Amino acid sequence: MAPQGGWVGKILRVDLTTRKISEASTFDYVPKFLGGRGLGAKICWDEVPPEVGALDPENRIVFATGPLQGTLAPTSGRFMVLGKAPQTGPVESFTRSGVGGHFAPELKWAGYDAVIIQGKASKPVYLWITDQKAEILDATRLWGLDTYQTQQMIWKLHGPKTRVMVIGKAGENRSRIACILTDSGDASGQGGFGGVMGSKNLKAIAVRGTGSVTVARPKDLMEIIHSIQRLFSRKPFRGNPYQPEEKNFKYNIWGGGYGRGSLSLLPGELLDLCNDPSSGYSQNPDGCFACPVSCRSHVKGPDIINGVAFCAQSYMYLESMVHQPEKGYSKITWQAAKLADLLGINAYELMAIIPWLSDCYREKLITEEGTGLPLKEIGSWKFISTLLQKMANREGFGDLLAEGGQRAAAKLGGKAEKLSQMYYPRTGKFAGYREHWVYLGGFPTGYAVPALALMWVLDNRDAMVSHSFISMLWGAAFTVGQNALTAVPEKIIPVLKPVMKAVYGSEKAAEFVQPDGKGLNWKWAAPIVKRYHEHSLLKDSYIVCDILFPYLFNANSSDHVGDTSLESRLYSAVTGEEMNEEESYRKGEMLSALERAIGVRDGRTRQDDILHGIYFEKEDAGGRKYLREDLERSKSEYYKLMGWDVKSGTPTRSTLERLGLKDVAEGLGRKP
Amino acid sequence: MAKEVDRRTLLKGFTLSALGLGSVVAFGDLLEFLTLPNGQKLALAKAVIFADKSLCSGCRICEMVCANFNSGGRNTSSLARISIEKEYLKGDYQPKTCRQCVDPPCLKACPVTALQVDRQTGTYARVIDERVCIGCQKCVKACHQYFRPSRSMFDPQRKRAIKCHLCFGEPQCVKLCPLGVLRLERSEKGFLVGYPVITED
Repeated sequence: MAPQGGWVGKILRVDLTTRKISEASTFDYVPKFLGGRGLGAKICWDEVPPEVGALDPENRIVFATGPLQGTLAPTSGRFMVLGKAPQTGPVESFTRSGVGGHFAPELKWAGYDAVIIQGKASKPVYLWITDQKAEILDATRLWGLDTYQTQQMIWKLHGPKTRVMVIGKAGENRSRIACILTDSGDASGQGGFGGVMGSKNLKAIAVRGTGSVTVARPKDLMEIIHSIQRLFSRKPFRGNPYQPEEKNFKYNIWGGGYGRGSLSLLPGELLDLCNDPSSGYSQNPDGCFACPVSCRSHVKGPDIINGVAFCAQSYMYLESMVHQPEKGYSKITWQAAKLADLLGINAYELMAIIPWLSDCYREKLITEEGTGLPLKEIGSWKFISTLLQKMANREGFGDLLAEGGQRAAAKLGGKAEKLSQMYYPRTGKFAGYREHWVYLGGFPTGYAVPALALMWVLDNRDAMVSHSFISMLWGAAFTVGQNALTAVPEKIIPVLKPVMKAVYGSEKAAEFVQPDGKGLNWKWAAPIVKRYHEHSLLKDSYIVCDILFPYLFNANSSDHVGDTSLESRLYSAVTGEEMNEEESYRKGEMLSALERAIGVRDGRTRQDDILHGIYFEKEDAGGRKYLREDLERSKSEYYKLMGWDVKSGTPTRSTLERLGLKDVAEGLGRKP
Repeated sequence: MAKEVDRRTLLKGFTLSALGLGSVVAFGDLLEFLTLPNGQKLALAKAVIFADKSLCSGCRICEMVCANFNSGGRNTSSLARISIEKEYLKGDYQPKTCRQCVDPPCLKACPVTALQVDRQTGTYARVIDERVCIGCQKCVKACHQYFRPSRSMFDPQRKRAIKCHLCFGEPQCVKLCPLGVLRLERSEKGFLVGYPVITED
């Protein structure tokens, strides 16, 4: 029986080669696969065999929403882009990439839970979806425009309430690190799905809907929202402007150290300008759809590109802060991020490419003449604008870099490749993603945490640890007066104990270093990572925000215990299907196995779940190391917990059948 | 007496919006109610939602809360009685709330007197009686002459007009706005806001 609420019931399939548009029922996939990442994984399992390349017409790009999208549920503006990712390498494989903003609800209201795009158009096109119908329209005149201009053109045609997912020059030129952008800075970056859209000659997807998403239990939903708002955001005026704001309240994002409007965290020229009312610059918190926090800043100014930038985007060009230390976070830093957005380049990947180029130049492996880049001036506007333009247009050296940092490094080989390894932790056939907290406090200056290493080797992109697990570690650090970069394990472990007990079942889970401080304690790594993967899959399948969910750490209570039942309660209220936490973890386990099966079918084995040598050689700030044998033992434990074959890391037939994935078991069995 | 009320309502008019202030008129003794041509007396709204757009982040929770609460769980911005006009690239957000006008064009346009003043909850909001409404959309068009988007809108599924009724005195959008943009102001004297004080927005 179809759930009472949450879904609008149809999946749109667009074949750009034949220009055929068809519809399928969402209920072929849900509620079994939950939606979002689970739905996309199932579609990719069914339709994208290993021999299809990421940039081939036969690859699918799936824009999948979950049951919560388009409703009042917090952060329900997010959705998932899935498919075979060109960025994963050297073997292209399935991955996912989340986006915020306001696109997902519009898609739901237009009557579609997901869009599957396949084939390749003969000339540039864009897809226009509105109220139960879709059209493939000519985009010859949009081709070559930047992401802002394209959106403005589409708004002129279809009205300003249309939301657009669009690629820039980088995507058109099939860069492996191109993003898909919506509005003024929300982008699906990791995976390089912009290049997939480019390879299909698809410039944009425009959506406008006036329908609705039915919520099964609206009253329950209101109550949950009310309690969630109290947890995550400062209490508002509640209708009384004279009541002072609550003092000492911490926003529960990233452990409570951050709050509304991310620019206020970045002191420097730009923030000073924004704080000066006479300058003409300003910054405002800007919220994704239905978000109670509004963590991003919308920055405006007379001579800068307006828009939002967050996290990787705003931190992308840190070299400029080294170049002009007196200015701090300057206009150049901002403009660099926005230029990457206009051209549609994944900012997170640039955070690896730019320092790597800098390292290579310092070691005299590349020259200004050879690359055509002003490498002497890394940190300047001239450097970043030349670099980004070259990458987007695939000119000269930029052509190599558009393949992504890891592929470029492999091509250069030798020492250049060696230098890149610290930025790309995972080796093996399914790597290609920049470091994302392999250490608490960052590699190589921070502290090793076993669970982080294990998460890293097992994921099919960068492990999104910063967004759930590590914010708990940061939260503990903030509590004892440290911060994300200065956290010391011995200090934060006592704070973590009750939290870890609540989430992972034992206080011992918090003790990730040995009592004598000499070595790491790997005992709890496997169970923690199993639960973390379940959380991660559930959050991406209901689709709530990475930064807010799962809610592990409460910065405002005395024991800091969060509430991991929020997502399943939201799901129950919206769909009317009873879902308790335990049951949801079984779903998470099933989806974990499904994603792994896709990887295995593409050739992933236990040998691919490994970090580069440098991560085992270096001692962390506490003199401890990740040891290969420890990691291997933890991997075995993890595979065993998941019911996967310990030798190969493949989900076993009996496990898949137990989880209700009989067809997947058969598909894997056919593999030669 | 009249003077004192005047000043207060004027100030409230200022907080409401910069638009249309030129046409603030002193109504003197007519403050308590206006008389319609047919002799019916129309009381001023005693509660109005005000929005401070400088605080708004454009998250559109208010829209969703409204639709979820008032449209039986049908979540969509097109059924929300409050709407955010958002300029995504410029970063400009304008919460558009119903003004509960002094001389409501919607109420006057209704051919079946489905639009009434809500005396029961004490807000004196201009509300639509669903049982009476015939879905002719005249109120939508009337409001649209002055206010865009029209604050009274049409629910195509139920074939009825809908508009902000202040949620029986406890507006849910105000309650759940996470940034404190919205607030409910109450005044026993009533508010001199909306049309004809403000004639466009």
